[in-house]
Amino acid sequence: MAEPNLDQMEKIRDVVAQDLLGGRIELLLGWEKGHYWWQSRPLFAHSKEDLEKLVWDSFCAVNLSRYLLDELKDHQKVGVLVKGCDARAFNRLLQDNMVERDRVVLYGLPCPGMLDYDRLAAAAESAPDGITEQNGRVILKTARGEVEIERDAVLMDKCKDCLYPDPVVYDQLLLEPQGEREAPERFKAVGDLENLPDNERFAYWEKELSRCLRCYACRQACPYCSCRECFVEQENPRWQGRAYQPSENFLFHLVRAYHGAGRCIDCGECERACPVGIPLQELNRKLTKDINELYGHYEAGLDAELEPPLLTYRPDDPAAFSEK
Amino acid sequence: MSTALNETSAGFEPLIVAFCCNWCSYAGGDLAGTSRITYPANVKVIRVPCCGRMNPMFVLRAFQRGADGVLVAGCHPGDCHYSTGNFHGRRRLSAFKRLVEFAGFEPDRFEVRWISSSEGDKFAEEMEAMTAKIKALGPNGKMRDARWQSLT
Repeated sequence: MAEPNLDQMEKIRDVVAQDLLGGRIELLLGWEKGHYWWQSRPLFAHSKEDLEKLVWDSFCAVNLSRYLLDELKDHQKVGVLVKGCDARAFNRLLQDNMVERDRVVLYGLPCPGMLDYDRLAAAAESAPDGITEQNGRVILKTARGEVEIERDAVLMDKCKDCLYPDPVVYDQLLLEPQGEREAPERFKAVGDLENLPDNERFAYWEKELSRCLRCYACRQACPYCSCRECFVEQENPRWQGRAYQPSENFLFHLVRAYHGAGRCIDCGECERACPVGIPLQELNRKLTKDINELYGHYEAGLDAELEPPLLTYRPDDPAAFSEK
Repeated sequence: MSTALNETSAGFEPLIVAFCCNWCSYAGGDLAGTSRITYPANVKVIRVPCCGRMNPMFVLRAFQRGADGVLVAGCHPGDCHYSTGNFHGRRRLSAFKRLVEFAGFEPDRFEVRWISSSEGDKFAEEMEAMTAKIKALGPNGKMRDARWQSLT
């Protein structure tokens, strides 16, 4: 079992219960425990009974802002619990005019980073039965006794390089802010790949992408993929073939990543949702890195008022091709 | 078409797809023609309204269906018929070129050039240069759709 921090839980539940039962919001998006103790899945709370299930623990990785796209169709006003990445995802949707700010109430939850089950299991050297946390350390209960590890060592990939654990937009901040983080290794994997010869890099991607099932879970989880009709489902022209073909996989992944150029908030939901573990963040970060280099530093989702770099230009822009 | 499709017994003849802006580069190609300046028949020109119209899927589709190299040609920055199309195009195509290279394509496979309607000679030169570069690189197998056979 995962033991949530009871004080924090109490505080969160009190605030959202007041708003939900008081009628300020019709629906609350939060998390509840999934089938296993190391899963927290989205909770759609309408009532007091639903709120009993609400949890806030180290497995609430799912980005809830994305669910607003559907839920705002059926509800006038929706409350959402937002971590740092959820809040930037909300800004992303706001910038794309996919949500209305005054129909959403954001409850900010500064996030300590979510834990990766595979890393926990590897550290425990067997399937752990439960977890407790204390002062930045994780204690795993296993069949052979307790295993204690540093919390930072078992963070999810997407949380390792997180720059903004605190929500950047909220109506109410429910917990103490975590403070700014640093992510010195954020572009390391991209840099390493860039240094490979072309053919080796191609072979790397061919291998990684060959696992792709084209389930489109990455798109489904992504806050920048909010088009009503996605190019992969378009029939005329039919850009995306259905066949299992390396070239079709390349087409999908390059175009998916490119659609996030200057818009990707680096929340890592695509990679987390991927059932076959394709390093999608490397494609996203490559674009972020290049656009930052060429057109000035820009962090998507931080400020909904700032124009994304590919929607604007300067007459004296540099170009990446040999002719300026 | 038969001269330009990939490897034949006579040696490698690349297929190059050039997306040309209607207002500048396509007219530049016309000028090359009316001025009787020759350029390689390997280049197949597709006219687009503006280089800002370029959908990156155009480029990837060309690679899937047999192109060995893709060139996008637009008006010089500042000369766009639609005022700002090529400014936007410059940013988008720059990001896209880097992404295509990141996926493992050789940098020469995809290029962007500015060719105005008065530059018939430059049009021919650029097409010559692109053809020479792709000839040196050899056929492109990357992202080629296995079901797509060249119609030689």
